[in-house]
Amino acid sequence: MKRKLLGVIDATTYHEDLEDLLTHRSLAALPFAGRYRIIDFVLSNMVNSGIRSVAIFPKMQYRSLMDHLGSGKNWDLNRKRDGLFFFPSPIVDNDGNKIGSFEHFAANMDFFKRSTQEYAIISNCYTVFNMDFRPILDWHRHSSCDITEIHHENGSSMEMYLIKTSLLIELLETRNETGYTCMRDVVQDFDHQYTVCHYDYNGYAVMIDSIENYFSTSMNLLKTDVWKQLFLKDSPIFTKVKDEPPTKYVKGSLVKNAMIANGCVISGTVENSIISRGVKIGKGAVIKNCIIMQKCQIEDNCYLDSVILDKDVKIEAGTHLTGSARSPFVVRKGMKQGALMNS
Amino acid sequence: MAKKKCVAMLLAGGKGSRLNSLTKDLAKPAVPFGGKYRIIDFTLSNCANSGIDTVGVLTQYQPLLLNSYIGIGSAWDLDRKDGGVTVLPPYAESSEVKWYTGTASAIYQNLNYLKQYQPDYVLILSGDHIYKMNYENMLEYHIEKRADVSISLIEVPWAEASRFGIMNTNEDMRIVEFEEKPSEPKNNLASMGIYIFSWNILKEYLEMDARNPESSHDFGKDVIPLLLEENKKLYAYPFKGYWKDVGTVQSLWEANMDLLNEECDLDLFDHDWRIYSVNPNQPPQYISQDAIVKESLINEGCTIEGEIDKSVLFQGVTVGKGSSIKESVIMPDAVIGNNCLIEKAIVPCDVQVPDGTVIRSFDDEIILVTQEMLSGLYPAY
Repeated sequence: MKRKLLGVIDATTYHEDLEDLLTHRSLAALPFAGRYRIIDFVLSNMVNSGIRSVAIFPKMQYRSLMDHLGSGKNWDLNRKRDGLFFFPSPIVDNDGNKIGSFEHFAANMDFFKRSTQEYAIISNCYTVFNMDFRPILDWHRHSSCDITEIHHENGSSMEMYLIKTSLLIELLETRNETGYTCMRDVVQDFDHQYTVCHYDYNGYAVMIDSIENYFSTSMNLLKTDVWKQLFLKDSPIFTKVKDEPPTKYVKGSLVKNAMIANGCVISGTVENSIISRGVKIGKGAVIKNCIIMQKCQIEDNCYLDSVILDKDVKIEAGTHLTGSARSPFVVRKGMKQGALMNS
Repeated sequence: MAKKKCVAMLLAGGKGSRLNSLTKDLAKPAVPFGGKYRIIDFTLSNCANSGIDTVGVLTQYQPLLLNSYIGIGSAWDLDRKDGGVTVLPPYAESSEVKWYTGTASAIYQNLNYLKQYQPDYVLILSGDHIYKMNYENMLEYHIEKRADVSISLIEVPWAEASRFGIMNTNEDMRIVEFEEKPSEPKNNLASMGIYIFSWNILKEYLEMDARNPESSHDFGKDVIPLLLEENKKLYAYPFKGYWKDVGTVQSLWEANMDLLNEECDLDLFDHDWRIYSVNPNQPPQYISQDAIVKESLINEGCTIEGEIDKSVLFQGVTVGKGSSIKESVIMPDAVIGNNCLIEKAIVPCDVQVPDGTVIRSFDDEIILVTQEMLSGLYPAY
């Protein structure tokens, strides 16, 4: 496998519906499930499938993504040969998705030409799943397909494609003549000689593209049968290591149906919520149906229902915030919310 | 190799026989502590946080787990191009195999390791203790006093002083007398087993000690008394703060319970003095709808469906429905079935506790659970 499959992660996507959570970071770096970034899922899946060379193509706001990935050590991708490659776009492109990923790939053509892997898997960066790519490679190699697109149970595209590296290079080199800007253009066009096949994946998979969907997917993690499909002993999801102590439950805390990361100090009530690393929840505070990101501080006697707090948010004592499942109340990164600023 | 001002030597070969079955397959410094750590994490983190980047770790008893845990020292940021962590096991010479027979002989046999760094000072540590200490401050003290040796001391309760090595000092903190486990202590300042030696003195006296056939080659018993006899400048460095030798099942349990105490001096949440450890990379802990969690420390990867009260749970622990864990320490990947009651116990790594098991102490003595104990006729303790 290590010589056969190349991992390519297209992290150039931006979803406007997630804007509140993407002002300081790229979609790939969106925090998820208390201690992960969304890219951890596809990246870990690749590593667990035996892929030893992964190229990531980010666009805009990639500081947090770079900080997260580092040398790739946490995914065992800091290797002398192959490993993790990070290709920020040389093209200034401030207007959303105008330029397709092919343009970004082509700017780093040398990488593809130098790669020895016969096949490449090209994936989006925002799918929450735990999937082994090896069966797809086997299937693809025994079929007569040029391109295999992975579909989810309902027939929708998962925006993941298996292709020979040489064919990918060909598509990149002819992009100006063909007008293809990304893999989706290729598979949706019927006027070419390539055979496009579908591979149906029946496991758990959700593509995160809106706040509502981010919120509901997060809440679904609290169902045992869902998180048991994502967090498997034999194919763990790797992420950046933080040296946080275990979480401390202080006298007076009450916790029910919650997923809680390390380094938290919990003195209040937490119900149906996802709490990230290093969060402090004060005495008498009530947190219900919330997603609380890293290092937030919620002071005493706050009441939060259906709220998403981005990183480093401080909620002053006695503040009440309420959203709904369809439209959770989002507090942006680093903000301070006081009782008087209540809305 | 580049010269280093101070090199640390960490004695990690101890068996810790009073920890019973916990140290059957691993050395005492590798015993799990505090929901996430191993005992040695505290000294290694102290080194890293004190700016000491060259650490020799001396192993002997059951070193497999300890060696693989330390690895190249990345977890403590001690994987360095120059210096870093070096595991130093006993070795064979052309003439004989030399086991470490005492703390002094362990260092003596690694003088060549030290020589390559031409250190001015050598910090000698034990991997058996739980504490946070800035060794840099102690080194400054050592230099200021122009001492030959500095020994870190901690105040212990008078009633317990006769269990320790007690130092008697003059007004300037110069050590005038050392008594190993005195029956009538004149003082309650006990040695923490932390020494800073000026290099020349260390080399000279270790060589002298090695030639002495009468010596048991121990710092406390042989080297320190000899230095005092020869009127060398030994200074006491008073340490204030949390320090615990977790040498028994009881004290290991107590130290874990200390972490649940709001007033405890040992703050694991201090970002300026982090305790580093090898991260297990597990998903967040899951607390179910039926769970009750009170005053506890719980690590990632746990699945809790029962009641947890005043307990410390390590990574990957599962607690089933209707079970109740009280004042207990549950080590990594232990599985507690449904409807169990565990009170005042330590459950070691990977132990599987069957449904309905009751483990309870009636005389306040802490129970160290073993798998053998559970597979026998053992519903009531």
